[in-house]
Amino acid sequence: MEKFQRGKGNGLTDLITSFWQTYNTLIYTIFVHGMLALSIYITLACGQLSLGNAAFMGIGAYTSALLTMKMNAPFGLSLIAGGMMPAAVALIIGIPTLRLSGVYLAMATLGFGEVVRVAFLNMSITGGSLGLNGVPLKTELWHLVLVIGIFIYFFIRLRDSRFGRILEAINEDEVVASVMGIKTTYFKVWAFTIGAFIAGVAGGLNAHFTFFISPREYGFEPAVDILTFAILGGTRTLWGPLAGSTVLTTLPELFRFLGPYRLAVNGLILLLVVLYLPNGIVSKETFKNIKKIFNGSGCLN
Amino acid sequence: MRLSDKIMILSLIFIFTASVSLAADIKIGVAEALTGPIAKYGVPIKNGFTLAVEEINAAGGINGNKIKLIIEDEQGKKEEAINVFKKFIFRDKVLAIFGPTLSNSAFAADPVANAGRTVVFGTSNTAEGITAIGPYVFRNSVAEADILPRVVSIAKKKLGIKKVAIMYGNDDSFTKSGYDVFKKAVEAENLQVVATETFSKGDIDFSAQITKIKGLNPDAIICSALVEEAANIILQARKLGIPASIHFIGGNGFNSSKLSEIAGKAAEGAISGSPWFLDDTNKKNQSFVKAYRKKFSSDPDQFAAQAYDALYIMAEAIKKVKFTGDLEKDRTSLRDELAKVKNFSGVGGKFSFNENRDAEQKGRVLIVKDKKFTIFSE
Amino acid sequence: MFLQQIANALALGSVYALFAIGFTLIFGVLEVITLAHGAVFMVGAFAGLIAVTRFNLGIIPAILTSMLASGLLGFIIDFVAVRPLRKKKYHHLAPMIATIGCATIITSISQGIFGAEAYRFPFDFVPTKSYEIGDIQLTLLQLVIIGISFSLMIMLILLLKRTKWGKAVRAVAENRRTAALLGIPVERVFQITSFTSSALGGAAGVLTGLNFNAIHTYMGGPILHRGIAVIILGGMGDIRGAMAGGLILGFSEIMSVAYISSDFRDAISFGLLFLILLIRPSGIFGKVPERKG
Repeated sequence: MEKFQRGKGNGLTDLITSFWQTYNTLIYTIFVHGMLALSIYITLACGQLSLGNAAFMGIGAYTSALLTMKMNAPFGLSLIAGGMMPAAVALIIGIPTLRLSGVYLAMATLGFGEVVRVAFLNMSITGGSLGLNGVPLKTELWHLVLVIGIFIYFFIRLRDSRFGRILEAINEDEVVASVMGIKTTYFKVWAFTIGAFIAGVAGGLNAHFTFFISPREYGFEPAVDILTFAILGGTRTLWGPLAGSTVLTTLPELFRFLGPYRLAVNGLILLLVVLYLPNGIVSKETFKNIKKIFNGSGCLN
Repeated sequence: MRLSDKIMILSLIFIFTASVSLAADIKIGVAEALTGPIAKYGVPIKNGFTLAVEEINAAGGINGNKIKLIIEDEQGKKEEAINVFKKFIFRDKVLAIFGPTLSNSAFAADPVANAGRTVVFGTSNTAEGITAIGPYVFRNSVAEADILPRVVSIAKKKLGIKKVAIMYGNDDSFTKSGYDVFKKAVEAENLQVVATETFSKGDIDFSAQITKIKGLNPDAIICSALVEEAANIILQARKLGIPASIHFIGGNGFNSSKLSEIAGKAAEGAISGSPWFLDDTNKKNQSFVKAYRKKFSSDPDQFAAQAYDALYIMAEAIKKVKFTGDLEKDRTSLRDELAKVKNFSGVGGKFSFNENRDAEQKGRVLIVKDKKFTIFSE
Repeated sequence: MFLQQIANALALGSVYALFAIGFTLIFGVLEVITLAHGAVFMVGAFAGLIAVTRFNLGIIPAILTSMLASGLLGFIIDFVAVRPLRKKKYHHLAPMIATIGCATIITSISQGIFGAEAYRFPFDFVPTKSYEIGDIQLTLLQLVIIGISFSLMIMLILLLKRTKWGKAVRAVAENRRTAALLGIPVERVFQITSFTSSALGGAAGVLTGLNFNAIHTYMGGPILHRGIAVIILGGMGDIRGAMAGGLILGFSEIMSVAYISSDFRDAISFGLLFLILLIRPSGIFGKVPERKG
């Protein structure tokens, strides 16, 4: 019996090895998308909708890739630089932009994202539309786990801090918050900058396991994708965006067998989730439904 | 080692060898963009492969072994391409991989194949530096760098061109690569460039660029664009009054029956260069075009032709591989055999790999006449 | 040259405006950014194409067919994806995400039906003629595009201004609760608005397909992107704003190619958008922004 178990264990190890070899990029991508979802979560947490996070990701990706490729910088350093660069840009454009709110802010950041994309296309150091090829493979699983762990820890601490409560107050009612003497723009710019930092680090990590980056990866569609991660997952807690990004990254791979209609099924699931859980996967409704099932009343009643 | 251990190991070996010797199929992975906006290039490529495989298998396969294509969609996205490549290499355990559709995806996914010591054969990647990724990376995509300078030089000689205007798509690596080659060629021929205008994917209107160019009176317009854009640029140019005497000169993007299908009479006189064209009268090509039309009820384009040739090139190399049952060894010996391919004769004429595993193939300069490409100069 | 470029800009801008006008109308009344508008535009182009190639219809009947098809599609999208979210207390962006789901489904199924290929209207469907006025060469097609776009837009404005239905729509856009109290069938207004807006999007699809002869399933993406810029520029939900915004984007694109550099065309257009928002946060015609989704 004991040996049988061991034999099976070996088979299992093989299975795990081959699973890991096949799907490690997918798993890495889940982590990166998780970070991107968190990067938009912090701006959403204070009621601001930013569509600039794909551009920030791009700035981070180019910064860190260029540092490792041209200057041989240590990976940790180029990652931090990849976060600081977009954060600095966010600080500069955030001060005028964040006077806008709601959908207007979203569109201003969209315009900003387009300017960044065209800049990537026309600079010689970024390689234009040919992109940067030959980015060294540096990202490992533990980097991703560590980085996302730090971000999650940060968000958990944030929730109970003064800064966190201020963001919540701005989200509840910006006018009331400013009447109460809170410098709302100041805190909004901070949230925006932190989001840019996270997106930049995610971009740096992504660049170092995909060998190649080009401007078209940081345009309009990725920006909408990042927003979708967060909204689909739910924006009440930080677990929502993480759940949303995980689901949306895994689905296309799961439905590979569907062939040409795989995207249609993806869209259908997106639609159904929004219709039945309009506040996201991680939301009160979901918990209520789970409770109902456990109480035996069933969710059909 | 106890007896039960030995039995387990023996039975595992037995199952393994049995599955290898029973499966006489040679598995080849095809990773192309089959859905999404890039699918218009990925689908003809897939068609080229499937047609070639059907023919080979119907003729008895390679040394009696049938080829089995495992086709996956990579959507023209780099992460998807990497995922598909890894699935092919580690889970499906293919012998070799064709694809991906875009150069961008190739830069991301080919290193994976190279590190996994698996041949990857690109049929549509034209960007510079693809084969420099490593010794397992091959391609037969026409080296525009060879043919386009000849196109420019012959057009200059035959048409007496002195001033040109250039238009290209600057957000696409395919058209940007083509532009880079044209730019060098134009400099080498001492042609005067009166204007360089760009456009982006999804543009529906080129009147601003064309109006500007029209005012500068070039003798010809060089245009590095994909076929839909190219055809519409030509069409809009003629409507805005650029006369037919001003020829359009283009790269690979022009080489499709879609050019005349979309632009109609306006495309007459368009010049391009390629080893393959639809109405080439060589026997192989005629039977390919006939079979393709019958199976897919549309004309093959250059992407389909290159894919079709690529599969036959691969088959020729597989024929010489001595299979050992050890996948890693077999993959490496396939690499070595593939690198030796010389003077293969396909639908695009004679083909060899050069020392960089890039295409060495004679291109011809073509011109559109009566809605068809014909030879302008051998 | 300059006059010619103005004519070019007018033709391009009028298509943008026609696309954006429906887009902005849905936002103004339903308070939803419908990201399925690009897919509706594509379906409109295909419907027009089928009307012409299969049923040999002329340009006006083809456009009407296309408007009917895309209008119905818009109605269905509203019914399936947006209406259920009107009743609940939801995240204000949830309907937008639902329309992304719809767009994915529609484009994916269309690609399954029509394949990845590009199609075109028959040759000389709009005869290749041009008229020379001084230095300007106006093609018949440009005239057709400008003419049809503007007549449709003017018709919409008249409908909104002069008819009972238009008044109901404007009342709902102003305040749906008050409108409901006044006995306006709000739900019906939503449906009619979705239909009308999508019909205009479909017409824009046909006109685009006439100008750029490559109708394919992913043609809605780029114009959606520009459409968003246009409605922001003009002020969200404002019809005149969308018209002005479309023309401004057309002019900025054409003029930056003509007099600056085609490399920076998109950066200039979107940079302009960015600046206008900073100076006038609610767009050119927009009112003081409320917190809308």
